[in-house]
Amino acid sequence: MVQITAAKPIAKMVGSNRVVLGTGIVHVTGDAKLPPAEEKELRRKLVQKALDALQSNEQL
Amino acid sequence: MRIAHYLNQFFGGIGAEEHAGKELDIRDGAVGPGKLLESLLGGNAQVVLTFICGDNYAVEHQDKLTAAVLKKLRETKIDLFVAGPCFDAGRYGAAAGALCRAVQTALSIPAVTAMNEENPGVDLYRDTVYIVDSGTNVARLRDVVAKMAALGKKLAAGEPIGAPAEEGYLRQGWLRDQLVEKSAAIRLVDMLLAKLKREPFESEMPATAFAPVPMPAAIGDLSKAKVMLITDGGLVPKGNPDRIEGTAATRWGAYDIKGRDDLRAEDYEVSHGGYDTRFVQQDPDRLVPLDALREMEAKGVIGKLHDEFLSTCGRSNPLSNTRRLGREMVEKIKKEGVDAVILTST
Amino acid sequence: MQLTLARHPITDLKLGPTARLDGTVLTIDVAALRQVVLQDASLVDVEFDIVRPGEACRAGPIFDVIEPRAKAPGGGADFPGILGAPLTAGVGTTHVLDGAAVSVLAEISPDLTRSATGRVLEMSGAPVAASDYAALRHLIVIPHTQPGLSRPAIERAYRIAGLRVAVELARSSLHHAPATCERFDPVGPAENGRDGLPRIAYVGQIFSRQRKPEVDEPILYGANTEGMLPIMLHPDEWLDGAIVPSLHSWFGGTETYFYQNHPIILELYRRHRAREINFVGTVATIAGSDNFDRDRHCRAAANLVKWNLRADGAVLSKYGGGLPHADLAETARLLESMGIRTAVMVSDVSRDRRVESALLFNVPEVDAIVYNGGNGTHWQLPRLERIIAATPEFAKLLAGPLTLDAANIVGVTNQQGASRMRSLVY
Repeated sequence: MVQITAAKPIAKMVGSNRVVLGTGIVHVTGDAKLPPAEEKELRRKLVQKALDALQSNEQL
Repeated sequence: MRIAHYLNQFFGGIGAEEHAGKELDIRDGAVGPGKLLESLLGGNAQVVLTFICGDNYAVEHQDKLTAAVLKKLRETKIDLFVAGPCFDAGRYGAAAGALCRAVQTALSIPAVTAMNEENPGVDLYRDTVYIVDSGTNVARLRDVVAKMAALGKKLAAGEPIGAPAEEGYLRQGWLRDQLVEKSAAIRLVDMLLAKLKREPFESEMPATAFAPVPMPAAIGDLSKAKVMLITDGGLVPKGNPDRIEGTAATRWGAYDIKGRDDLRAEDYEVSHGGYDTRFVQQDPDRLVPLDALREMEAKGVIGKLHDEFLSTCGRSNPLSNTRRLGREMVEKIKKEGVDAVILTST
Repeated sequence: MQLTLARHPITDLKLGPTARLDGTVLTIDVAALRQVVLQDASLVDVEFDIVRPGEACRAGPIFDVIEPRAKAPGGGADFPGILGAPLTAGVGTTHVLDGAAVSVLAEISPDLTRSATGRVLEMSGAPVAASDYAALRHLIVIPHTQPGLSRPAIERAYRIAGLRVAVELARSSLHHAPATCERFDPVGPAENGRDGLPRIAYVGQIFSRQRKPEVDEPILYGANTEGMLPIMLHPDEWLDGAIVPSLHSWFGGTETYFYQNHPIILELYRRHRAREINFVGTVATIAGSDNFDRDRHCRAAANLVKWNLRADGAVLSKYGGGLPHADLAETARLLESMGIRTAVMVSDVSRDRRVESALLFNVPEVDAIVYNGGNGTHWQLPRLERIIAATPEFAKLLAGPLTLDAANIVGVTNQQGASRMRSLVY
């Protein structure tokens, strides 16, 4: 499992091993301030980061 | 006694969830609960500074916030730092705890805060910060602030602090030996009999602790893997068919995304009382990134995206619920032959 | 099985010339005791001394503390399987010298990694309030083993010597009328007239396979427990000499005295007599050597409690170090899953005094925990003129002033339920 969240310290505290920092509390895998195309690109990058974490044994 | 007080956007009188992104504002004098604090302390107690900050800003920019607060406190003579009370608000509790610890460590100023035991701020900071047990009921604000005042007064005066139950703070997790009347044997039998009779008993060691979770091995070949999306942000189909609660959810749901490349606003709603759900409501992919995962699936980066996403609400949810929800979800995950999970959390 | 303890209160011990009990004063025949002890060729000499409550003296390292007890003629064997045939313990009458103890010193450190002083008997000062042993009159046995013996052989010699002295001492009381006779109630899984009372069992570890027992190490009826699976025992077997501590597991505190006066078993008897519970029996178990061994033992013990004792609730204690907490928790978890409520007693393993370091398990159902503390306590002890030790090196080491941890004063920390030192969570 990989977790995407903006509240990383909490995720680490409960023992989550792979945690990717999300963009914000109110839009974890998005950013309402960005124009749609850029927001989508941001989401792709975030999801790719999450997928990379799944393939690594490094604590994140 | 000169006090500095930290409040979130709500208790600071700025507004509700829609203002959670507000940056730090520093005011002279007391605001909201700070006025109550002053009156309860009486005498020459004065809240000379109030820091007000939006909960989202506080979590997303914790370092910046901490630096700003410390900077201001270095320039101002302060005897006590008070944060909250935060009750159930997780972001608020995490920020309050962080600031209290920073103020103690960097400036040696005593600090006190208050929150409900399940607040994530507790487990993060309980060992170094005095956190008054506020419970969840905001209507008890006065009682809670009174306890904070009493404890804060002792801390500022350098007086020894008594046991958690006496002073009203949450156990910090430090062990202190004490010689008692009853032998361990008698205490053991007493405890068993109370448990059998369903009478309240107090274990001498709290049973809950976050045991380290062994790290599952990395996925060897993601292009062959079946991936599932799960969220605790409370995204549910319009009408909330499974009636997943927006606080302390006892249920979770599995929602069909077969053939969909994208989550559409009109099909979903959000059941979660703990954040401003507007942005996710506008575009649910901002919480459950279906569109990005479909692209990955089409490109062959992942083998397959499972046809459902699982959802529940993580807000103020006691471990007694979430442990079970997690176990049940795991059964589903295993049943569906899923290899990897992406969990998005607010 | 109905054990009767014939109690003879002792207010003073005296050395020689003849063994006699005058009222509550016991005179000890040192020469006779020497003969009894030196039956064992491993010992070339033995000395004796007496310490009394409140005296400014210190003795150590303590190998064992034993209550002087002797079976009445026809009542069975003293320490069966060790000093004689393995007849069933807990039958008939046992005479007890109440208020006295036999404390055996060692010439060797128990475990050099823990503390050079081992466990010390401190008869005056601050630690007194924390140890029941400080209120007893002790006959100190100072053994001198043959040079060149292996460590296990040395320890075995201490074990046998201590038990022999304890029995011999108590034999002086055999033909005297006891002050009181304590007759234990009949208990067991099939007792009549106990309907409606909660059925309670005790599960106690008596050894930990963190180390292999010595071939001739007496633990249960003289057997070394190698290969043993959990066994049901009548409570009186624990109380009447069936079990002694292993030769060298000194962590946490286990002495023969508190098998004879087993705090948990005595408390369960007390509640049984008061008709609060139906004390259905006990299981003696062993902490496993590996995961399979653990699973095997925990299941076997739980099954005995469930299907043979048919208990509603159980209290559990451990032996040895940190790892046996896993066995403790797993046995309790299994019992809970079978509908049997449990309470467990743990040792203090927290070195940094943090709660999160204190528990070696995290099982939500195992939520009734009694915590034996002590890791945060130490006492600064004064220089004393009277030090009793088996070697000049130890005499020098123990002379003081010195600082001793709670774990190093005998009787303060204990795995049999005797300890009154708790750790509170702040």
